[in-house]
Amino acid sequence: MKTARDTTLLFHRYTVQMLRNPVWLFVGFSTPLLYLVLFTPLLKHFSSAQAPTSSVIDLFLPGILALLAFASGMAGGFSTIFELQSGVIERFRVTPSSRLAILMGPLLSGMLMMFVFDAVVVAAAAGFGFTVNWLGLAALVVLLGILMVTMSAFSVATALVTQDISSFAAIVNGLNLPLLLLAGVLLPISLGPTWMQVLAHFNPLYYAVEGARSLSAGAFSNPAVWQAFAVLVPLCIVVVTWATRIFRQAVA
Amino acid sequence: MATTSPAITTNDLRKSFPARKGPVEAVRGVSVDVSSGEIFGLLGPNGAGKTTTLRMLTTLLPIDAGSARVAGFDVVQDPHKVRERIGYVSQLGGADELATGRENLVLQGRLYGATLADIRPRVDEVAATLDLSEFADRRVKTYSGGQRRRLDVALGIVHQPTVLFLDEPTTGLDPQNRANLWDHLRALRDRGTTVVLTTHYLEEADVLCDRIVIVDHGRVVAKGTPRELKRRVAGDAVVITVKDGTMAGEHSRSVLGRQPYVREITAEGDQLRLYVEDGSAALPQLLRLLDQEQIAIRSMSLSEPTLDDVFLRQTGRSLRDGGPGDDPGDGPDNVTGDSTKGAKEAVA
Repeated sequence: MKTARDTTLLFHRYTVQMLRNPVWLFVGFSTPLLYLVLFTPLLKHFSSAQAPTSSVIDLFLPGILALLAFASGMAGGFSTIFELQSGVIERFRVTPSSRLAILMGPLLSGMLMMFVFDAVVVAAAAGFGFTVNWLGLAALVVLLGILMVTMSAFSVATALVTQDISSFAAIVNGLNLPLLLLAGVLLPISLGPTWMQVLAHFNPLYYAVEGARSLSAGAFSNPAVWQAFAVLVPLCIVVVTWATRIFRQAVA
Repeated sequence: MATTSPAITTNDLRKSFPARKGPVEAVRGVSVDVSSGEIFGLLGPNGAGKTTTLRMLTTLLPIDAGSARVAGFDVVQDPHKVRERIGYVSQLGGADELATGRENLVLQGRLYGATLADIRPRVDEVAATLDLSEFADRRVKTYSGGQRRRLDVALGIVHQPTVLFLDEPTTGLDPQNRANLWDHLRALRDRGTTVVLTTHYLEEADVLCDRIVIVDHGRVVAKGTPRELKRRVAGDAVVITVKDGTMAGEHSRSVLGRQPYVREITAEGDQLRLYVEDGSAALPQLLRLLDQEQIAIRSMSLSEPTLDDVFLRQTGRSLRDGGPGDDPGDGPDNVTGDSTKGAKEAVA
């Protein structure tokens, strides 16, 4: 009860702060749209008689959505470091407020923002010929939520361990590129050589992207769907447990 | 004024941090008792363990060994109950820059469990108390240093804690804002709040605090009221700065140390610090002696003992760090002693 109340209070605080940061809002909205506008034309080459542009977007867009969930989660630690250094987190920790709320408030706020951006991108993509499957998108929301929470918890825990912007940024950037390239976020990994496909199977993000593609097409029976949840749900539990432990230690 | 029930008792508090060359003991057995309704200061140089002590008392850091009770509850066993009863103003403050002062205060009050209806009038009250009303609805990033610090204090007291902790509250403030904050802290004490602060400013400990402990290397080296502590360093301090190239340290030190009226002498670079029973009588004697021995001096000054003398005596080092308000008054040319400083101490 108290946790819910405190989470709501802190959720509200972070949301208001984000809305008051025009630069952040602009980048937040423009990045996914830029992907759509600057990348879709390149995909024309892949379209052919058997795969028209619209179906290329159908493949491409769920990748962008997974990328957004991944990236907005991974970015969570930056504000953690800033708030550690500016004393905000310490100020909250001295209050009797719920510890879980201090972790969840910003996380849920980031998730809300992510879904707002997602909605904008989906609407724009529909204009480019994206086939909207409502049921599939509804299930996709759950998958993206799990992915975002996992990455966010990972990012916040990493921030708490490093406590320093440059090492944190190095870790996050160092992980971003291989994880994203080996997940087939923009183009399916099936276009790559066998060794890449093998490596991709060790990358949780790969399952998220494949699952997202199937869900967005409404192909619930595709094995990629249950595989995505089978990989991400346990991973989410493990990472959140780890992050909570780090949080308790660093921020007891 | 101060009642007898203790607001804080700590017993042999210890904390060490892991480091490459083995653990660093930041706090090595601190035992203090703080009475309700007093302003209690932890005075010490940077790295003495003041902040670490404060962070343990405010439940922010786990305690390695020893125990602490704050506002009637054990910090380790009942951290939640302790948190409900204390306020903490860290060195950083930690207000949201993108929010207004009022928004910060409302959120803070609500995190302590107040309803929106209850907290609104309270925020008005706190803002008025700390002279923040005028800009309560401006964003914090537009605040000046002094306004910002007063907001930090307001955030620490919005829920009416029984004990307020402040970590270096006046660092970075100009003298005017510093004096202003002191007045606010005194007013809080007069309304019954126990105020515990850390400082490395001698004047702050001396003028503001009812009682202090002097901390060095994680240990309490002296405790008492500033007046008691200064009285313990009996007599007056004469500070002599010898000219370069006159073999400052050893020669003059041994000559002066032989004088019967010199109780104690310490040397730091070209500066000698002598404790004598009666400063004004000793000055002419000292001048004559230095002349006889052909020791050239640059300046000589006389002052009543300061907390720095107390610190110097306990640790062999000086606490002066050049911060505003710390200058003990031994400027280069005042051979006659610093009367203003003495007057200030007499008032305190």
